[in-house]
Amino acid sequence: MNKSATQSGRTKAGGITIIRYRGVVKRYGDFQALSGIDLDVHAGEVVCLIGPSGSGKSTLLRCTNGLESIEGGDIEFEGTALPRDERELRAVRTRMGMVFQSFELFPHLTALANVAEGPRTVLRKHAAEANRRASAMLAKVGLADKAPNYPSALSGGQQQRVAIARALAMEPDVMLFDEPTSALDPETIGEVLNVMKQLADEGMTMVVVTHEMTFARRVGDWIAVFDAGRIVEQGPPEQIFDAPTTERTRDFLSHLGWTG
Amino acid sequence: MTFDWSVVWQHRDALMAATGTTILLTFATMAIAVPCGIMVAALRLYAWKPVRALATSYVELFRNLPLILVVYWAFYVLPIMTGLGLSPLATGLAALVLNVTAYNAETFRAGINSIRRGQVEAAMALGMSRLQALRRVVLPQALRRIMPVLASTWVSLFKDTSLVSVIAVTELAYVAMQIRAQTFRVLEMLTAMAAIYWLLGYPQAKLVDWMQRRFAVTE
Repeated sequence: MNKSATQSGRTKAGGITIIRYRGVVKRYGDFQALSGIDLDVHAGEVVCLIGPSGSGKSTLLRCTNGLESIEGGDIEFEGTALPRDERELRAVRTRMGMVFQSFELFPHLTALANVAEGPRTVLRKHAAEANRRASAMLAKVGLADKAPNYPSALSGGQQQRVAIARALAMEPDVMLFDEPTSALDPETIGEVLNVMKQLADEGMTMVVVTHEMTFARRVGDWIAVFDAGRIVEQGPPEQIFDAPTTERTRDFLSHLGWTG
Repeated sequence: MTFDWSVVWQHRDALMAATGTTILLTFATMAIAVPCGIMVAALRLYAWKPVRALATSYVELFRNLPLILVVYWAFYVLPIMTGLGLSPLATGLAALVLNVTAYNAETFRAGINSIRRGQVEAAMALGMSRLQALRRVVLPQALRRIMPVLASTWVSLFKDTSLVSVIAVTELAYVAMQIRAQTFRVLEMLTAMAAIYWLLGYPQAKLVDWMQRRFAVTE
């Protein structure tokens, strides 16, 4: 992937680069999960990572906040290489919100306590301040009335919205979404995508691993198509979905029944 | 054969005090063996390899030795090894703690392992350290899951405290046997001892059953 291909047609390219991936390599034993990823994420952009399962999208996301280490290349966050030191890495993680496919809410805590946990434990806010912030975030995702409920009493879509609120409560600079709707019933996917769209409209920088092509097409500013640990094509959604330049992208989209 | 149950009543003060010691031993043992169990479990799971091996050896040693042997060992060997002259009560407590800590460590380790990896990752993604994730996310959930097992250990421990009678700790079994030896009222004293253990043990067992239902995990 040459440099110009990472820039052309980019509407928000004038913004600051928040995350810069250069030649990122990730191996699990003999298996090469990522083989030289080059990608930029600019401030306020929604970058969607699409491609078949096992192509490395989620792995790249997990490398972004250091849940996985990388074997080669660089990941820069806000102009600084991702630190190797645990303590420094933790500081970086507080500025990146992450949403998981399986929600991973804390089942022993209420919705409110789930959202307040980060501000309370990591940012060392007082209980009152943490709860105030948590209430505001739950209201933002439309779940103010579910504050006292435990996760087990919430639907999948509601749980994922609480998980989004939990990440937002840290006031992150960027949100990482790892297939946020893949584990959801079809009828609750919409409510989660709506919250994400709302975030995007507010200017949140987002990296989204998704199989929701309609969302990627409508909300994404930049699309990266993954295959076998590489980005086979990246560009604005119009290019990827309407005029893909590589055979692999066309294949992938036609397998999904994408007709434009 | 004639029975003389008045012997039990005559010695009620001694029996009450001894029962108190039995209860105290149970509480004191658990109060020490729970935090120690968590610590040993954490060492087995997260520590530097040689330390991990040491913790594993400890668990495997004390889990597979008869408690009565540990009690004797604590009585005869511990003072030589440490140079400390411990009272029988403290020695008995040490033996019980060594044994129950090993069991608790395994219980906690199983509980911690039962919490899926994603929970720790979610905590770490918020910026928590591993220790914070353990304390705030993993342990509270693990504790709920293992509560019934801990409660069973508690009930076993309550009965096993009788084993420290062999080193003259004046708990219920020892005192009852002393009275038996002085009065030759074997059947009466054994029955009284059984009644006291059962009356105290049965509600605990019921409490365990209740906890099993109360702390059932829903996800």
